[in-house]
Amino acid sequence: MTEQVENVNVKDQIREFVREAAQRKGVSEVTDDQSLVESGVIDSLGIFRLVAFLEESFRVRIGDEEIVGENFESIAGIERFVLNKLNR
Amino acid sequence: MNFSWTDEQHAFRREVIKFAQGELNDDLIERDRNEQFFCEGWKKCAKFGIQGLPIPEEYGGGGADILTTVCALEALGYGCRDNGLIFSINAHMWSAEIPLLSFGTEEQKKQYLPRLVSGEWVGIHAMTEPGSGSDAYSLKTRAERKGDRYILNGSKTFITNAQLADMVIVFANLDPAKGPAGISAFIVEKGTPGFSISKKLHKMGLRTSPMAELAFTDCEVPAQNLLGKEGSGTAIFTASMEWERICILASHLGAMQRMLETSTSYATDRKQFGQPIGKFPAVAGKIAEMDIRLEASRLLLYKAAWLKSQGKHPLREAAIAKVFVSEACIKTAQDAIQIHGGYGYMTEFQIERELRDAISGTIYSGTTEVQKMIIAGLHGL
Ligand SMILES: Cc1cc2nc3c(=O)[nH]c(=O)nc-3n(C[C@H](O)[C@H](O)[C@H](O)COP(=O)(O)OP(=O)(O)OC[C@H]3O[C@@H](n4cnc5c(N)ncnc54)[C@H](O)[C@@H]3O)c2cc1C
Repeated sequence: MTEQVENVNVKDQIREFVREAAQRKGVSEVTDDQSLVESGVIDSLGIFRLVAFLEESFRVRIGDEEIVGENFESIAGIERFVLNKLNR
Repeated sequence: MNFSWTDEQHAFRREVIKFAQGELNDDLIERDRNEQFFCEGWKKCAKFGIQGLPIPEEYGGGGADILTTVCALEALGYGCRDNGLIFSINAHMWSAEIPLLSFGTEEQKKQYLPRLVSGEWVGIHAMTEPGSGSDAYSLKTRAERKGDRYILNGSKTFITNAQLADMVIVFANLDPAKGPAGISAFIVEKGTPGFSISKKLHKMGLRTSPMAELAFTDCEVPAQNLLGKEGSGTAIFTASMEWERICILASHLGAMQRMLETSTSYATDRKQFGQPIGKFPAVAGKIAEMDIRLEASRLLLYKAAWLKSQGKHPLREAAIAKVFVSEACIKTAQDAIQIHGGYGYMTEFQIERELRDAISGTIYSGTTEVQKMIIAGLHGL
């Protein structure tokens, strides 16, 4: 049960972060599976902002080699990546 | 919070200074005038272990943590006045070795790192193009996949160590429709058909560090020369820039210390109006400001390196350190010239060169303006 609550929380926080980033870039809606780089929501600097946010919010460590497209492709991808780390 | 170096780091620092002062400063005025790279010095540094400092021992490196590396590079900057040689070494470490270490396959690491660490090979990094500098990801160099090969076409400019390079990490877009997500990095070895040095470039400072333009014309590389995955070019570039922005100016700290000491000693010895010029508040104030800038620069750079050593991504701190240290070094070199009066402006005194060498610090690895954009961006702007 606690794990489920945690998972919902992770997704909500990620969504909120992405929503704010999208707003700044003038993108009004982002679905869970939409490519964040291709749609211009997360640019080269945005990825690092996102990494800093994840490290801070979820107390995870993210190596340079993990900062690749597939882990940060979409809201769903980011969530998978973070949950994988938290459950390890 | 602990601001002290360990005894081992202190001892290492002294060793680096002794080595650098004894081995790396010969004929520097001539070399600077003739834009001559100090090949012997490069080899000596590699033998001493500088190029391999942060690389794990299994690839022939020293396995030093980032703070020890910064400590050694600061000492190198203090002992060695050939800022061009130091710049060439830094470019090789942060933009070739580190991306290979972080993103290379085991095979790529085994193939290239030992040769780069030993100084036998020189590695370079080619991102900038005539039409794309700060806006690096708008690059025009194209990569096309053809069976088990990639074909590269395009040109690169301002490439440090180009003439010396045995291998290049070149950034090209595989799928321009995807924008930056199409950018990928490829390893190209010297002698690959279609890869050439197109034009040697001449510079204001760092003249002992070679620079040139590169051309890729239907340059074919095997698929296994892709670094990281297709589309991970932006991640590779940003990760290596993060290391570079933290570490490349560590040697500036040593140079600033050296200029502070030289200027203090000159202000003590040189007499005008019957007393040492250092007794005049206007001159003494400059010495104090040199010290203030040095201390602040150290704290900013050490903090960014410390955060990195804690596994963090100090985007903000690295940008702040990059802006502050590069500008502090220029101001300190200018003050050093002013304190030395007409002598400071003469080549023979080897201070005017420090200013010429320092100027580009606000341009490479992302300009001051770009760093400020990064910082402001983190505030939501
Ligand atoms: C000594 C040296 C070594 C180098 N080595 C390498 C190397 O090995 N490999 C490599 O790929 N590149 C290398 N470079 C290139 C370097 O990365 C670029 O010069 C740098 O990124 C700036 O690009 P630019 O020169 O095209 O200037 P531009 O991007 O054209 O900038 C010109 C001016 O406009 C400002 N500006 C640009 N955009 C903005 C903005 N959005 N807001 C505010 N101001 C802005 C800049 O700050 C600058 O003042 C090297 C450069 C130097 C000087």
